[in-house]
Amino acid sequence: MSLVHINIFLAFTVSLVGLLMYRSHLMSSLLCLEGMMLSLFVMATMVVLNTHFTLASMMPIILLVFAACEAALGLSLLVMVSNTYGVDHVQNLNLLQC
Amino acid sequence: MNMFSSLMLASLSVLTLPIMSSILNTHKNSTYPHHVKNIISYAFITSLIPTMMFIHSGQETIISNWHWMTIQTLKLSLSFKLDYFSMIFVPVALFVTWSIMEFSLWYMHSDPYITRFFKYLLTFLITMMILVTANNLFQLFIGWEGVGIMSFLLIGWWYGRTDANTAALQAILYNRIGDIGFIMAMAWFLFNANTWDLQQIFMLDPNLTNLPLLGLLLAATGKSAQFGLHPWLPSAMEGPTPVSALLHSSTMVVAGVFLLIRFHPLMENNKTIQSLTLCLGAITTLFTAICALTQNDIKKIIAFSTSSQLGLMIVTIGINQPYLAFLHICTHAFFKAMLFMCSGSIIHSLNDEQDIRKMGGLFNAMPFTTTSLIIGSLALTGMPFLTGFYSKDLIIETANTSYTNAWALLMTLIATSLTAVYSTRIIFFALLGQPRFLPLTTINENNPFLINSIKRLLIGSIFAGFFISNNIYPTTIPEMTMPIYMKLTALTVTILGFTLALELSLITQNLKLEHPTNMFKFSNLLGYYPTIMHRLPPLASLSMGQKSASLLLDSIWLENILPKSISQFQMKTSILISTQKGQIKLYFLSFLITLTLSMLLFNLHE
Repeated sequence: MSLVHINIFLAFTVSLVGLLMYRSHLMSSLLCLEGMMLSLFVMATMVVLNTHFTLASMMPIILLVFAACEAALGLSLLVMVSNTYGVDHVQNLNLLQC
Repeated sequence: MNMFSSLMLASLSVLTLPIMSSILNTHKNSTYPHHVKNIISYAFITSLIPTMMFIHSGQETIISNWHWMTIQTLKLSLSFKLDYFSMIFVPVALFVTWSIMEFSLWYMHSDPYITRFFKYLLTFLITMMILVTANNLFQLFIGWEGVGIMSFLLIGWWYGRTDANTAALQAILYNRIGDIGFIMAMAWFLFNANTWDLQQIFMLDPNLTNLPLLGLLLAATGKSAQFGLHPWLPSAMEGPTPVSALLHSSTMVVAGVFLLIRFHPLMENNKTIQSLTLCLGAITTLFTAICALTQNDIKKIIAFSTSSQLGLMIVTIGINQPYLAFLHICTHAFFKAMLFMCSGSIIHSLNDEQDIRKMGGLFNAMPFTTTSLIIGSLALTGMPFLTGFYSKDLIIETANTSYTNAWALLMTLIATSLTAVYSTRIIFFALLGQPRFLPLTTINENNPFLINSIKRLLIGSIFAGFFISNNIYPTTIPEMTMPIYMKLTALTVTILGFTLALELSLITQNLKLEHPTNMFKFSNLLGYYPTIMHRLPPLASLSMGQKSASLLLDSIWLENILPKSISQFQMKTSILISTQKGQIKLYFLSFLITLTLSMLLFNLHE
């Protein structure tokens, strides 16, 4: 695997670890989600452009669209938590209330 | 070339003089009512001359004066039709109005706005004359609406009283429902006959006249208080007695019948409408006669009597006898106005007491009023050779000998006997027996205005029928030969009614008062018709409107179907199926460890 690919793959792994291990704010996990999306986008674009696989050049754009949707969903969950508690600390999510 | 049209126009236009004198402010002085009364008497005498010319020569005139406007192919002009019906009705109406104006000089003497009262009465008379002499439907509609408006203003004369205001509003609303029919007929004539002139309509003689005649029948139902649109007439007794005497007995309520009489060339070809008219009139006359039996207000009994006689006129139109109906209109005006004036005299003398249960013994205290009341009631029930006989008996005879609906005929006969019953009731309770009013009385009938006016109508009630019947030219031939039992039917049922009522009144006078039976309650509450119809349809339409507009459209379709239902559903199901405790960091960490371990395992396993 070339150095560029390893670079981007490492960026993805760092974001993944950041998504799964965070201390108190829900917002940091959402930020890492965006980072994962960004590295995936760059990886996909580079591979498609290098191999001249023109038919698949839609794929990064569609990935972007769906990532925007999921970011909106994540933000709305954040807003719901923040409405109830004022801050988005994860330790608030221990009560099962709807 | 004779003075026929000039004299008639003079007599009609002289009526408008007192109205125009209000520009000069001469209507503020106290002799204005006397001027109005005098002008009406002059108009009456002037209109007698063209009437006599008409009777002598049979000359009918149409005066077409002023071309008002032309709307594409419709030409509207001011035209007066002076034919048999208008020529005989105008002097009768003017005579009755003259007497009523003189009576109201006595009755409304202490009213501070008496000049306005007379102005309203005069405006009413002018609009009624417009209605009667109209040659096209537009002018007739002007008169029609005019009498409606004046009726509203006059019924609500004592506007401080809530009942008077609701009664005036009721009159306007019921008349409006009838006007829908009138306008429908006008629209049909505009589309199918291209005109509103009566001559052209009759000349064209359209074939399918069901729709316009139904519209005219609806208009007559509204204006003449037939069954279905009748509650406004008893409620209209809230107005002063001269108003009841003029509008709601002689003049305004016959406008509906007059309209149907005007259209008799169209009606005589349409058997369906004739049957409908007949049944409507029969229902009205019987229902209102039943309602009149247990009323306790003397004016309401006479109002129901008017309604019953109007039903009789409609029945006459239904058996295709418009000229007899017209004769009944003219004779009915005399004795009904006189009955109202006698009741006004009684009411004023007993210090505004209208309940017949609190009158009595007036036979000796008010002899003149008693005389005229009894003669008026006898004329109403059709006693031979008084006024009512010449029209009412002819109607009953013609109905008996014609090929007609037997049920309608039976209803009419029963209503005729009930006429005698409630007339006896009025006489028994108001005049006979011992006095039931307060001892300190103000009984005084010595005023010359009162005496003269009732005296004029009394002479009219006795002789007018004979006089008119002998001077009109023959129109439809009455049935000359019939079996003797048919000839005596009207007389028999009337005498039956009299004796029955007298017996019942005398027998039950000293019995213990019982609880009212169901039949009594039906008759006393006007057949429950106002109670049901004034509450149920408005409630139903308003609640239907609320439910369809605001509940259905706004709340359900726009709010509830998609947005709120989705949110409710999601919340319920997520509560139902979630078993987690919310330890997110633990879950994420275990996910990361599993991922790392699996990657190591797959990569380092050779």
